[in-house]
Amino acid sequence: MSLTTTRIAWRNLWRNPRRTWLALAAIGLSLALVFVYDGILRAYGDWMLETITGPMLGHAQAHAPGWRKDRAMDETLRDASRAVEAVRRDPGVAGASARVYAPALAALGQEGFGVMVLGLDTPAEGGPSGLLASAKEPPSGQRVLMGRPLAEVMGVHEGDVVALVGQGADGSLANDLFTVAGLVETPVDLVNRQGVLMDLGTAQELFAMPGEAHEIVVHARDPDRAKEVAARLAGIPELRGAEVLDWKTLAPEMVALVDLVQVAWVFVLVLVFAAAAAGVANTMVMATFERSRELGMLLALGTGPGRIVRMVVAEALVLGAAGVLVGVALGGGIVAVTHSAGLDFQALTGRGPSELSFAGMRWSLVLYPRLAFADVARGAAAVLATTLFASAWPAARAARLEPSQALRS
Amino acid sequence: MAEPGTSSGFRLALALALAFPLVASAAPAPPPVDALLQHLDDLYRSNSSIARIEIAVVNPRTSRTMRLKAWTRGEEEVLVLVEGPARDAGTATLRVGQNLWNYLPRIGRTIRVPPAMMLGSWMGTDFTNDDLVKESSLRKDFASRVERRSESPPGWWLTLEVKPGVVGRWARIEILVSDDRLPVEERHFDRKGRLARTMTFDEVKVLGGRRIPSRLTLVPTDAQGQRTEMRYFDVRFDAAVPGETFSLSRLERGP
Amino acid sequence: MASLETRYALRSVRRNARRTLLSVLGIGIGCALALYMESMNRGRDELFARVGATSGSGHVRVVPAGWRARRDTRLRLADGQADLQMARSVPGVAAAAPRARAQVLLAMGTHVVPVEMAGVDAAVEPRAYRFAQKVSRGRYLEPGERGAVVVGKATADRLRSDLDDEIVGTAVGRSGSIESAMFRIVGIVETGSDEIDLSVCQVALEDVEELTGLVGAGEVAVVLDDWRSTEAARARLAPGLARGDEAMTWSELNPEFQGHLEQDKATSRFASGVILLIVLLGVASAQLAAVLERRREFAVLSALGMGAWRMVRLVFAEAVALGLAGAAVGLALGLPFVWRFATHGLDFRRWMGSSYSFQGVIFEPILYGDLGPWVVGYALGVGVGATLLASLHPAWFAARTDPAAALRLAP
Repeated sequence: MSLTTTRIAWRNLWRNPRRTWLALAAIGLSLALVFVYDGILRAYGDWMLETITGPMLGHAQAHAPGWRKDRAMDETLRDASRAVEAVRRDPGVAGASARVYAPALAALGQEGFGVMVLGLDTPAEGGPSGLLASAKEPPSGQRVLMGRPLAEVMGVHEGDVVALVGQGADGSLANDLFTVAGLVETPVDLVNRQGVLMDLGTAQELFAMPGEAHEIVVHARDPDRAKEVAARLAGIPELRGAEVLDWKTLAPEMVALVDLVQVAWVFVLVLVFAAAAAGVANTMVMATFERSRELGMLLALGTGPGRIVRMVVAEALVLGAAGVLVGVALGGGIVAVTHSAGLDFQALTGRGPSELSFAGMRWSLVLYPRLAFADVARGAAAVLATTLFASAWPAARAARLEPSQALRS
Repeated sequence: MAEPGTSSGFRLALALALAFPLVASAAPAPPPVDALLQHLDDLYRSNSSIARIEIAVVNPRTSRTMRLKAWTRGEEEVLVLVEGPARDAGTATLRVGQNLWNYLPRIGRTIRVPPAMMLGSWMGTDFTNDDLVKESSLRKDFASRVERRSESPPGWWLTLEVKPGVVGRWARIEILVSDDRLPVEERHFDRKGRLARTMTFDEVKVLGGRRIPSRLTLVPTDAQGQRTEMRYFDVRFDAAVPGETFSLSRLERGP
Repeated sequence: MASLETRYALRSVRRNARRTLLSVLGIGIGCALALYMESMNRGRDELFARVGATSGSGHVRVVPAGWRARRDTRLRLADGQADLQMARSVPGVAAAAPRARAQVLLAMGTHVVPVEMAGVDAAVEPRAYRFAQKVSRGRYLEPGERGAVVVGKATADRLRSDLDDEIVGTAVGRSGSIESAMFRIVGIVETGSDEIDLSVCQVALEDVEELTGLVGAGEVAVVLDDWRSTEAARARLAPGLARGDEAMTWSELNPEFQGHLEQDKATSRFASGVILLIVLLGVASAQLAAVLERRREFAVLSALGMGAWRMVRLVFAEAVALGLAGAAVGLALGLPFVWRFATHGLDFRRWMGSSYSFQGVIFEPILYGDLGPWVVGYALGVGVGATLLASLHPAWFAARTDPAAALRLAP
């Protein structure tokens, strides 16, 4: 399309400012809304992944080869801190930390209860994606945390001293006294019911596994890349011989659920597109038909039908492009703003914020919308195409009429 | 994530009762198998006993040894005191009937072990609770016959097939009994007829007035490089063991 | 509404057939899409409930006193039989399945696997536990069959066992004694997930009774015809239970699921809002486009003496007429699709990753839409609501038309 045609089209558009503004608004706003929806869709996918994998699973895990099956105390990763440091250096890794898992007997008085002692890297797990996120005070030294339901069953209160007895990695009898510094509710039900949370160093000492760990849990910067990250980490020298798997391999049952929900939401995206397209089309068709008199006048003055159609299409193209720009700016802007601030959905659940602590666990309902370039391109293209077709067709129809008919409509 | 009800939890098994393993004794020459089995059953058994034992667990990754002193009375009462290694010395386990307690000297606490944690392997060894607590009787649960003669060592191979309706892991047990009526080797076959583990008896000594193999080695077939060895250093059968040995207060005071 | 405006509105609507048709079609399509979207939103809730309930917990579960806090498998219902009868008597109950659980150590030779064994009533269990219908090899338990067990593949593998093998199950008996029993593997369930495999272990309820020495059921899983009646069913069930026993809903049993559901609902509402906005936008702009071209017409009316207020009512009247027609078209267009969606569901298997090789074992990825009387109200709300809202500006615009100025302008 030549520059002259563009200029003429642009000027034509502004001859009827109201109609043009209306069409611009329709196109721009529709597109913006599609982008907003898209942004939320991605944010929801991210949120769901985070929730489903949760602090327990992470995005990838490293273990000694037989550990997942046997859970033997001595099947450990050696020199865990060096391995963690190496993992953290990987560009695709957002965070990593080592863990000790030790089944043990816990007793307040004489009654022993089966528990699971978790040795955790307190600074790392204290972050938002860690197990200790909701803990007031992290465990350290002889001070440990206990899952609240477990404490209730055992009759333990804050400040009580419990004995922990387990088997060390060298077969020795690991036993010591610990003070329960606090009771916690993590997002993981199992940890709450059976977990005693201890600082990593203390656990390593108690269970005679200095510098060793049973698991390194990894959080990736881009959860969609978890598999790649896992494959890359499997190759680093510090993790030689270890088994490094992504969350999909570790928990295949989760994959199905995540996939399904994602597919369902994408399906809805198609509906959203359809709705937007319908709206834009409706507007353009209506507007163009309403110009029948104007077009009829041009016909009567001798303008060929082909020329009329071309003129309308040129205008539609320019209009569409402008509308797309508006949509991208507006939609992109909204997504950018909500991304940094986060969209808090608590109000939309229909329940007060306090009721959203289900069983004492806080459910984060904040989404961070984001857009990929593909989304923007796709949306823009679809809307532009719709605009064109929705103008060309009625224009063609009007142009085929007898001028007198057109003038009268 | 493993729950305490998982293999690791069971394997924790903090001290089960060390009721002496019941070993079938083979009858010499194609002799009355029944009497032979009775002899084996009674080989290590007595009304009360005091013994010093060493247990070594070897696996591809580590190996460790424990030295224990054990008192028993009847089938229900057992006290085990860990004498070595030094870091575990003073730890004691008391079993009375179905109850099990651990005494931990370092923290000065006595803890009762919940029954569910008694199901798995004992102290991380290849012995299971079945081996140690259950009163399985080779004589009662198996139909036995002499299979063939063995030349070296000289003795007889017995085949024991589990009787229908008996609950147990072994479908078949093959025992090699030497001519002096001592067990040499025991092979346990699982319910699919596969050889699951082999127990060997050697280092025959006179202990407590009886001539018995003082070393038992248990080797599971499937696990590479893994075995458990148990050695008796001295044993006093029918020793005078006062009842109050098997009490919690005694446990804490130390024997 | 005054009859003059109504009559004019109707006639005007009829006069410009094409414009009317376009408007109604536009509104109708928007309505239909919004309907489908809403049906889908409601359907997602159903999916969650289904997954949660049929994986064993039931929509409602009757549990013994103290179980809520302790989750101890050794707890038993105060009167399992009575609770079972009660559950079956509540209307809307598809199945009520009694169970007794125990921590058991399974053994084959030197290989051991600790499991949570569930003693069940094989006649009813398949309706409450989907894995009972998804036995990959062998078969499920027969009603009344004793000494048989169905396990997950991961369990069988760790035991180095297969179909027809005899394994030993050991548990803690009533007085703390150790009890054992033999079980023959009659069925193996393969879910593709080790963790879920290890959780599958079912035998006859009587077998667990014998093993543990504890008599009766420890829970009754209740599956409902309509998942939405969960709360109501619980309310009816609870008072009739034996003393101490209580009824828990599936969301209470799976707290992690619940939070997920809440977030899903909240996000769905937001998405619905966005969709509605889009529909509204489409309708509004189309209507406005239509009105813009009628300035002359409004100018003439104004010159003829029609007051501003009456013009506004006129525009609204047209809007309502269009909205009603649009809603009708929306229902006509959308209902067949929604109906198909609700009855056959959308099978997502084709679109899901190829790694989903155990399709249908853990849950069926079929989303069923929701269909109910709500559709009429929704369509009307969207259609009429959108057009009315859309006509606000045109109405204001029409009212402000200065006849002289408008008549002077070329259309």
